[in-house]
Amino acid sequence: MIGLIGHYAIALAFLSSILACIFYFRTAQNGRSSDEHIAYFFLVVKGSLIFLASGILVYLLFTNQFQYFYVYNTSSLDLQNVYLWAAFYSGQEGSFLLWILFSFFVCLGIVRWTGEDYRAPVMFFLLLSQVFLLSMVAGIEFGSFSLGASPFPTLAAEMPNAPVFQTNPDFVPADGSGLNDLLRSPWIIIHPPILFLGFSMMAVPFAFAFASLWKRKYNEWIYPALPWTLGANLCLLTAIFLGGYWAYVTLSFGGYWAWDPVENASLVPWIFGMAGIHAMLIQRSSSIAQKASILFAILAYMAVVYSTFLTRSGILGEASFHSFVDLGLYNQLLLFLLVTTFAGLGLFAYRYRELPSPDKEAPFISREFLMFSGSMILFLAGFVIMLGTSSPVLGRLFVANPTPPAQEFYNAWMLPFGVIIGLTSVVAQYLWWKKYNAETLSAALITPVLATSVASIATIVIAGIDHIAYMIFLFGAYFSVIGNGMIMGRLLRRNPRIIGGTVTHIGFAIMMIGFLGSAWDSPMLDQETRDYNAAVRAGEITDDEGFPVNQTIDYIELELNEPKLLDGRYLVTYKGGEIIEENRPGEQVYYVEFKDTEGNEEPFVMEPVVYPMLANSNTGAVEWTVDPEVRSGWLSDIYLYVAGSSMVEQEMEKMEKESARGGLPSITDMGDTEDEDHIEIKRGSQITYGDYEVEFEDFIHVPSSELPDNSIIGVRAQIHVEHKPSGEQETVSPMFAIIEDEDGQLSYSPPVSFVEWDATLQFLSVDPATEQIELRFDGITGTPMRDWILIAGERKPFVSVVWLGTFILMFGFSISIIRRWANQKNREKNEKRKKQDEPKPEQAAKEPV
Amino acid sequence: MKPRLILGIISIFIFTSLLMFNFSQNISSYVDFEQAALSSSSRVHVVGVWDADKPSGFSNETMQFTFYMTDEAGNSRRVVYPKAKPTNFEQAEQVVVIGEMKNDVFYSNEMLVKCPSKYNDGDELEFTQAE
Repeated sequence: MIGLIGHYAIALAFLSSILACIFYFRTAQNGRSSDEHIAYFFLVVKGSLIFLASGILVYLLFTNQFQYFYVYNTSSLDLQNVYLWAAFYSGQEGSFLLWILFSFFVCLGIVRWTGEDYRAPVMFFLLLSQVFLLSMVAGIEFGSFSLGASPFPTLAAEMPNAPVFQTNPDFVPADGSGLNDLLRSPWIIIHPPILFLGFSMMAVPFAFAFASLWKRKYNEWIYPALPWTLGANLCLLTAIFLGGYWAYVTLSFGGYWAWDPVENASLVPWIFGMAGIHAMLIQRSSSIAQKASILFAILAYMAVVYSTFLTRSGILGEASFHSFVDLGLYNQLLLFLLVTTFAGLGLFAYRYRELPSPDKEAPFISREFLMFSGSMILFLAGFVIMLGTSSPVLGRLFVANPTPPAQEFYNAWMLPFGVIIGLTSVVAQYLWWKKYNAETLSAALITPVLATSVASIATIVIAGIDHIAYMIFLFGAYFSVIGNGMIMGRLLRRNPRIIGGTVTHIGFAIMMIGFLGSAWDSPMLDQETRDYNAAVRAGEITDDEGFPVNQTIDYIELELNEPKLLDGRYLVTYKGGEIIEENRPGEQVYYVEFKDTEGNEEPFVMEPVVYPMLANSNTGAVEWTVDPEVRSGWLSDIYLYVAGSSMVEQEMEKMEKESARGGLPSITDMGDTEDEDHIEIKRGSQITYGDYEVEFEDFIHVPSSELPDNSIIGVRAQIHVEHKPSGEQETVSPMFAIIEDEDGQLSYSPPVSFVEWDATLQFLSVDPATEQIELRFDGITGTPMRDWILIAGERKPFVSVVWLGTFILMFGFSISIIRRWANQKNREKNEKRKKQDEPKPEQAAKEPV
Repeated sequence: MKPRLILGIISIFIFTSLLMFNFSQNISSYVDFEQAALSSSSRVHVVGVWDADKPSGFSNETMQFTFYMTDEAGNSRRVVYPKAKPTNFEQAEQVVVIGEMKNDVFYSNEMLVKCPSKYNDGDELEFTQAE
């Protein structure tokens, strides 16, 4: 019932957004404020309905209404509240809803802060993209054709053929299938909202560019569009950072970036946005970038739509780790993409001849030309990444059934782009703040070049960099840090508010240094494994069939309390593991101690986690998921996870036993059973129990004074237990008695504790005929324990430097947003004043640069 | 024509050709095991599904994860992966192994595990507990 309300709310929101779109179009045509009021009314109606629908979905999630397909699929009873919010946007439908919700806020911002000239046309284009987004979740059916996938259908509606609904149409599952455990991370809760906020804001420059083409106002649009573009880029950067950090600390592939299509999908809009920002900045003083800024603004949003298409249409299929499967939105997404592309590029081509061109070419040494080149390089970099990401589609030009390109493809292309960006950013910054000619510029650049050379050579020698491309890359990055740093120093004295550009450049260059450094990651291995790997590389190892082995080993096995020396430096000891069940049922934590033999670091313990997950697809199958532990350092991280262990194998055996008994394995039961076992032993005999030797020496008579009241009979057994590996031994005498009361006979067998071990022993029964007794140990296991773990440890140099660069970049963006926002406000004020002072135009205030 | 324009066109041409050439060199085709056996490349991609009926497991001695995979043409081959079993392996509806084929054994250096979306095959969904 309540789901139906949500369903209709979305459908009505879809209609209102169409109406708002139409009325904004009319306003843009005729400028009548009555039309604009109606349009605004429909905008607010649309927003309220989306709020209502989102509220209903959140309500359904929080009240665990698993009869709804979306709730069943994304949530479960054991989810903490904070993850119920994440469940809201963990599926396709919900994430579209979130995107639409954010877009509504962006629309309100535009209505509030945009001047009359652009407001209506910009709103028209924003709402047009809204209509497309809403159509993805509209869930409206026209006969056999359905528009969009709503988050509100019930399970029964979604799968009418499921047997359970045939027998019981009112069936409601008791629990949902839950949020993927990998997504239960604080980082991934905030990642999607920030990403979608960025996507929503990226629509703003796009709409402004369109509006400028439509209304033939090619110049002024950049001032209001610039802060939005910067904001969009800040959001995307933050989202990319969160995604990368999550992948690094949660997944076991051991990195923060893998050029996966989904990652590229957020990177390319960011790069195009950067290209657009630079073009817009030049456009204020030269018309060299007039066309480019419009084109890049359009391309940035096109990249958003294209990425959405790639990741949500199912077209990436096997190319990506985590693309969505087609929800039946393929055609709609394709239409969205085609309309955006053809409308954008079509309108651009239509107006092309009208667009202002520079009167004369900018000289080579000018900020305009250099910045323009810089933004072109950014554009090309984005283009290359997009080409690589599109391999399932575009690769067909070359081969059938194309695979994604190897990661080297991206790395090889980004390296020269990075160098050029590093170099031009410095020179352009010098020219930005002061006029130079070739001679004075060379003179000014001598100091940074010299400083960079010294720093680069020192680093190359110390770090042993032996590849010319890496040396050049390092030089480019250092040059950017030093050059921009010098300018920043100068600007700080003038006006700290204008350092945004230099700060972002420094941040980017520091990231570059981090990227380069993190290429030197290496597995932490002991000498034996290193020798083996060296032999593999030399082709000296052959397998049983005589074929050369070419796979190196990146793991080592550690036995309990037997240290191994890793990297010739760390004495690493496995100190034990336990089941903690802190965050997830059956969760295991391992304690791995690191001692630095060089004495530079205090000993520390790393605690990687392994936890079981019930496989969705294969009932009963349990899979073990690792949760790596990362120890961050300023220059180098240690990254560690447990790839296998005796504890995991024991749990697996236990589960197998349980399922053999007919019960389904349940991860909630795991770890609850303690180490206990029964043994049967005859008088005078010895048996081996795990690591222990148990001897039943004799019966001991118990005087009736020691027996409990009402005892019929009682006896003690003298048991000698020896722990063979350590030689520790102890003798205990547990008692067994039979008591009679009104209810009949009861056995009495109090457990006795050992002094040597944290364990107890119980005397459970006796068979007088055979003199065989039954004992139960608690705390001592019957299987000989070889306690081992496999660890995959890695040195990850400079990952922290990447994060540092990211933070500086974010900080720089923030400074720039504040400045450009203030700039735009001032400009508006001046415009107004100019209009009032119209008769005396010569007094009109000049806009600040 | 302005010299800068000509220069621009030439560099765009060079850039595009270089890019496309390099791109074409860096992608390959998905093949089946039989084609992989004939290939000399050490980076062939094979798509398939895990053959759950045949033995699989991680060996502590060789430090390798071994399993059988059935490719799209129906060939089943042993696959050796020199790392631990990837996360979500059992759930995977599709596995892509990247490596080379030697003597009917596929040595995979990289593995992609494609997990089922929670949204498809609704009818096969198993409910955790019925009321």
